[in-house]
Amino acid sequence: MGRKRRKGIDPDISQKRGSEPLRRTSDGRSSESAPGCRFDPILKRRRAEWLTSLPTLTWLGLFVVVPTVLVFVIAFRPANPYGGIGGGWTLDTIRSLWTPSYLAIAWRTLWISLLTTVICLVLAVPSGYSIARASEKWRGRLLMLVIIPFWTSFLVRVFAWKSLLHPEGLIKKALEALGLVGTATTLLYNPTAVVLVMVYTFLPFTILPIYAAAEKFDFRLVEAARDLGASSAQAFRRVFLPGISRGLLTAFLVVFIPALGSYIIPDLVGGPSGEMLGNKIAQRVFTDRNLPHASALSAVLVLAVLAPLIAVLALQRKAKKSDIIMGEAP
Amino acid sequence: MRRSRFPLVVTALVLAFFYLPILILVVNSFNPARFSSRWQGFSLVWYARLFESPEIWQALRNTLIVAVSVTAVSVVLGTAAAFALHRYGASRLQRVHYTLIYTPLVVPEILMGISLLMFFVAAGVPLGLFTIFLAHVTFCASYVAMTVLGRLQDFDFSVIEAARDLGASPWQSARKVLIPMLMPGIVAGALLAFTLSVDDFVITFFVAGPGSTTLPLRIYSMIKFGAPPMINALSTLLLAVTLTAVLVSQRLVNRRNSAGNPGTKEKFGT
Amino acid sequence: MAEFLEFRGVSKRFGAVQAVNDVSLEIKKGEFFSLLGPSGCGKTTMLRLAAGFEEPDAGRVFLDGRDITGLPPDKRKVNTIFQSYALFPHMTVRDNIAFGLIIAKRPKAEIRDEVDRMLELIRMADQAAKKPDQLSGGQKQRVAVARALINRPDVLLLDEPLAALDLKLRQKMLIELDLIHDQVGITFLYVTHDQAEAMSLSDRIAVMDGGRIEQVGAPAEIYESPRTSFVAAFIGDTNFLEGRVEACPDREYCRLAIAGLPGIHCFNDKSLQPGQPIYLSIRPEKIHISRERPEEKPQRNYLPAVIEDVIYLGSNTKYWVRAGGYRIQVFRQHARYFLDEKPLRWKDEAWIWWHADDGFMLDHFRKADEDLLAVPPQSVGEPLNGK
Repeated sequence: MGRKRRKGIDPDISQKRGSEPLRRTSDGRSSESAPGCRFDPILKRRRAEWLTSLPTLTWLGLFVVVPTVLVFVIAFRPANPYGGIGGGWTLDTIRSLWTPSYLAIAWRTLWISLLTTVICLVLAVPSGYSIARASEKWRGRLLMLVIIPFWTSFLVRVFAWKSLLHPEGLIKKALEALGLVGTATTLLYNPTAVVLVMVYTFLPFTILPIYAAAEKFDFRLVEAARDLGASSAQAFRRVFLPGISRGLLTAFLVVFIPALGSYIIPDLVGGPSGEMLGNKIAQRVFTDRNLPHASALSAVLVLAVLAPLIAVLALQRKAKKSDIIMGEAP
Repeated sequence: MRRSRFPLVVTALVLAFFYLPILILVVNSFNPARFSSRWQGFSLVWYARLFESPEIWQALRNTLIVAVSVTAVSVVLGTAAAFALHRYGASRLQRVHYTLIYTPLVVPEILMGISLLMFFVAAGVPLGLFTIFLAHVTFCASYVAMTVLGRLQDFDFSVIEAARDLGASPWQSARKVLIPMLMPGIVAGALLAFTLSVDDFVITFFVAGPGSTTLPLRIYSMIKFGAPPMINALSTLLLAVTLTAVLVSQRLVNRRNSAGNPGTKEKFGT
Repeated sequence: MAEFLEFRGVSKRFGAVQAVNDVSLEIKKGEFFSLLGPSGCGKTTMLRLAAGFEEPDAGRVFLDGRDITGLPPDKRKVNTIFQSYALFPHMTVRDNIAFGLIIAKRPKAEIRDEVDRMLELIRMADQAAKKPDQLSGGQKQRVAVARALINRPDVLLLDEPLAALDLKLRQKMLIELDLIHDQVGITFLYVTHDQAEAMSLSDRIAVMDGGRIEQVGAPAEIYESPRTSFVAAFIGDTNFLEGRVEACPDREYCRLAIAGLPGIHCFNDKSLQPGQPIYLSIRPEKIHISRERPEEKPQRNYLPAVIEDVIYLGSNTKYWVRAGGYRIQVFRQHARYFLDEKPLRWKDEAWIWWHADDGFMLDHFRKADEDLLAVPPQSVGEPLNGK
């Protein structure tokens, strides 16, 4: 019945006690690191980082930062009467912006952009939602269907609308036949046409981020809300919309900012009553050859664009990863 | 839970809205009538006129020269940038880097166009195909970077560590493992860059010089100054070409990937 | 036996976290050595230090006598099995396995033969042309092992390789890993948080917590002679009773003073002195439980108890009893089943006893380690294990 004593299990226990330091009661003190080895990985990492970042940093620094600064600088120069930039510095160019006609244009630019954005969002949310809810097979097809118009030339799409809305065009003839409009009304060359074509252009870009957000959204949350008594509409408003808020913000940016700087659309279908900042700037550059003026207007546009951008980005900072934003229409 | 039909209805209407002008365009390209409202029978007269027009060929040549060179350069720049952003994302340098890359994506084209114009004028660079090239790379690189970055975010870097662990040098592991695995994303980025360059109007309009007309510029002058019906034919052709290119690349990419629908998601990184 | 892989005083800090704190470790050639510990204890960092993916802030790493501290991973004769396997998705199984040899620029014929040999070893010769996404979890793991072993590394590093597998598969792969180690005979450094894996596979285990090594030893030594309360509580289950040494009448046994309990005796393997505060640790399977008062024999500790919880598990039953104000876990194997035996139920009075040799006194203990023990809650809302 002699049971082996625990000492027998490891005869070296008591010896080992001395050699290996026993750990203790309080939380370990942090050891001061000795100078240690000198193969420095930090340096290699830095070097690799600079190596891969340098090409784009230089390129973009040269072709984005410098030109932008230049625009602001030139806004402070007078116009050369023969076209181009004059010498010296002046505030006249900037002061000349503060006229009723410019203010009217600025205001029109603002409300057209806002209206376009709102319409796009209203149409994009159901679309993004149904694509996200579609089966695997259909999802890809629907996305392709949304994207394909994007593959046609942007100019051509605007032109297509121009001919559609033309007095001799299809839509006008159809509406005339239905007796909705008289022969005198023009669908073209007014702010409505601008909004219509802008919505047409920017809608795909709104659908994509909303789709992306809806796809990541856990729809069981909506089921939970319905289970707790919410109606479809309530669940939509209180659970779904907040759930895709990041997508909504991205979508907002993706329309509003390019809309502010829109040039082609107002140029081709806007006419004089649909003029926006964009075509004013182009007019100053190409027709009037007044570069400082154009610069001043551009500077205003830059500031107008920065404001919502910073606001939305600050709101989006809460998320860890940034969404990939589709740029403005080409 | 019965799902409401409303979103589907809206989507269907939206899609119809998208395709209406395009369909009319395509149909009218075969309509010899001057005005689209009158159908005068099927005809290829506008296509013939297109092929006979030397300006169109010249514009096409310019567009392709620019697009190919722009794609090549932006893919290199954009991929390197995406790698830096992903790998070293937390540092201050990268945060500045990211803002810089992000800027061309959010700035309205007219601002980019005018600032680049001022820059070239101030620097005394003559406007022409070269300035168009420089301008295009400036925004295409960002698009490529974002596309590749999207792929990188799902990238499991332990494969690179595995390659190093098995004896590959940093360069070897990039060449044999990283780049092949990133290839679908890089191809998607390249396709995007090519399309954007071919289609760009506003920025090109500002920085082009005499004799450096690209296809979009030609189209614009055609719209403004007459001969509209040829545009229908031209755009139908463009649509057909782009569609084929996209479908072919999809097929290629699908063969390399095995699961899921990589298509649009890859291209746009959503 | 030679110390083959050696860490000397290595430390590594990530930002504000000291992941590895002045650790020294010697791993013998050919042994299966495990680093065991909870998440965040520094075991993975140790592995990465051995592989070369991290550089220590202080200390050095030696392999077969050579200082490899400054070497990048591609220059070390060490290969890693990653937790996610990290197979190259664009290469076939064959190309994956051959990768190391291709990089080393071996002749084509040799590569082909070696790869075939490896495919035989992992029994996947007929799957050589498949791509990783066509393989199951277990198959991926075998390919990862083959890819590493083909290079005949001095040490194979395994980073929780079974964590991603389901239970049945894990059990199967455990046996396979063991067989591979026996067959191939190279040194394995295995990292895991799962004690069953560590105990069943290893020759020796190092238990880590908070960047430091708590104890190194063979599995039985770790289990039966833990040196700190962390090791006692982390490995298996145990009961802690806090008290102090009252007297040691003979050199071998001490009498302990534990509040609320009569004199408890315990084997004195640590040469403790009267007056020293200690934790008495007694594992549940070492405690006997019975309805009748057992015959008193020397060197045994007897306590009256009341049953508080009974968890019947078929082959054994876990009892939670209250003795002298302490909750004690008892584990009873049903070696024999008698139909007329009245099972112990809730609120029954019973006796528990254990041999003084089976308890152990810990002079290094932390109150916090008690949280590692499994304790059923008393009421709804009470946190489990005090967390």
